[in-house]
Amino acid sequence: MSSVVVVGEVDGNEVKDVSQQVAAVAAGMGDVVGIVMGKNIAEAAMKLSTSKIIIAEDDTLENYDPVRFSSIVTQVVEQTNATRVLMGATTMGKDLGPRLAAELNWGYLGDCLEAGDEGFVRPNYAGKVLAKSNPTNPVVVSIRNNAYPAGESWSGTVENFSGNIPDSNLTTASIEKIGAGTVELTEANIVVSGGRGLESPENYEEHIRPLANALGAAAGASRAIVDAGWVPHSHQVGQTGKTVTPDLYLAIGISGAIQHLGGMSGSKFIVAINKDAEAPIFKVADYGIIGDLFEIVPVLKSKLDN
Amino acid sequence: MNIVVLVKMVPDTESRLEIVDGKVNESGFKYMVNPYDEFAVEQAVQFKEASGGKVTLVSLFSNDTSIDTDLRKMMAIGADEAIVLRQDGYRGDRPSANAKTISDAISEMNADLVIGGVQGIDYYQGATGPMIAHMLGIPHVSGVTNLEMNGEKFTAKRQIEGGLQVIECSGPVLITCQKDMTKVRFPALKDIMMSKRKPFENREVSLNEGNDVNTDECSLPPARGGGVIIDGESAEEKVDKLIEKLKTEAKVL
Repeated sequence: MSSVVVVGEVDGNEVKDVSQQVAAVAAGMGDVVGIVMGKNIAEAAMKLSTSKIIIAEDDTLENYDPVRFSSIVTQVVEQTNATRVLMGATTMGKDLGPRLAAELNWGYLGDCLEAGDEGFVRPNYAGKVLAKSNPTNPVVVSIRNNAYPAGESWSGTVENFSGNIPDSNLTTASIEKIGAGTVELTEANIVVSGGRGLESPENYEEHIRPLANALGAAAGASRAIVDAGWVPHSHQVGQTGKTVTPDLYLAIGISGAIQHLGGMSGSKFIVAINKDAEAPIFKVADYGIIGDLFEIVPVLKSKLDN
Repeated sequence: MNIVVLVKMVPDTESRLEIVDGKVNESGFKYMVNPYDEFAVEQAVQFKEASGGKVTLVSLFSNDTSIDTDLRKMMAIGADEAIVLRQDGYRGDRPSANAKTISDAISEMNADLVIGGVQGIDYYQGATGPMIAHMLGIPHVSGVTNLEMNGEKFTAKRQIEGGLQVIECSGPVLITCQKDMTKVRFPALKDIMMSKRKPFENREVSLNEGNDVNTDECSLPPARGGGVIIDGESAEEKVDKLIEKLKTEAKVL
């Protein structure tokens, strides 16, 4: 069997859920070797559910750096004769994947929705088209969060990375925490999004964020209110924003332009609250409530609080 | 400051997506400048206005000249010249081969900064930029929401899970722009007129062998049937029914 390298990521004392999902996918493809890079990450890294784990720990790896990380994974690939590298489609994975593919002279498939022996499926045109491929040549793949169940945490054999860590002239000066305690859109199990039906940015803050907090959800937005400057672009779901695939997506005061639907129609369940019964969002919603969001959302929030 | 801006031409967002024999029917597509790349053009022009230099647009596309007008608009924003790499049989879903073609063309240009959009709104891989950076042997920072230049040094902010990573580096570097980066200006009529006299070079290039994965089959995502509309006399009744369904049917609460 050929071997597969999984690039794992840790968050605090745990391996990221998406990394465990990727490890579970890789387990069906061959002998799996995990590589985790960082500073003071050994204890968490050992939880990656691969039979062998290589840990690269160094002060210079505290923050993600494409030049250093790509070089380390390339060395691990050469050492293990792997023919596939899998990683989560996180902000790191989507950045590292293509650079690594170039360094290895391999193909690249980004942000895959499906991955396995039968091939890979990735979204084109913001999810409006699905493209299937079954590469026979070596390939680097990033896989979207929530596409697969996570592998169980278990301990395989562990060794330290013994190769070279190259110099890089990128320096991370700081990490600015924004919105402490908020959940990242692409990692969230539940997303609460607001649109123009909210009528003002104040109403977004009054209705969407508290509801998102009550559900432990990420707060999202339609393009209309991002363009209007109510919320930053980091909140935007849709063709020129983020594509999300949570278990539950609540669209509140969003009519459902095709560009928005592309970014969220992969969600497992969709709830729409809108006063316009003709809004296209109801065509994709599993559960719709036709009514005034200003009446419904406060009731919903107070019931969820209890 | 010598700046190269990578511009991709993409089907506009209103394009009808129809599948014929497992392939997207592209015959009716109209192409436009990738929206993310417009931020790159604007940022490059702002740097030039602040500290001088030259802004060169580089685009790889087919022999279709219908895109020229849209590229000229980018020159009206303030880019100095455009080089269009004309390739028979060009496709936008070959990041590896395309990165090779583009990096070959720009390797001799001695750019201090190579800048483009974070991804194309066609294939969404965000791959070509980082691949070009590797091929040029320079670092890259992707998905940048804010970029500052102080002398020879750049400070880039990129959104990561739960925060912003603030990265400092000296040039040459490749940057890809996220949507929030800057506001793209509307060029004045005078600049639009001027742009017609700016150098616009068409350069024939051959197809490169890349390592790209071929797509076997395209399909439309399974249509979601509309679900149920929850009725009720009051907001409270509707909400109760909704929560009940989310707990028992969907099992997501």
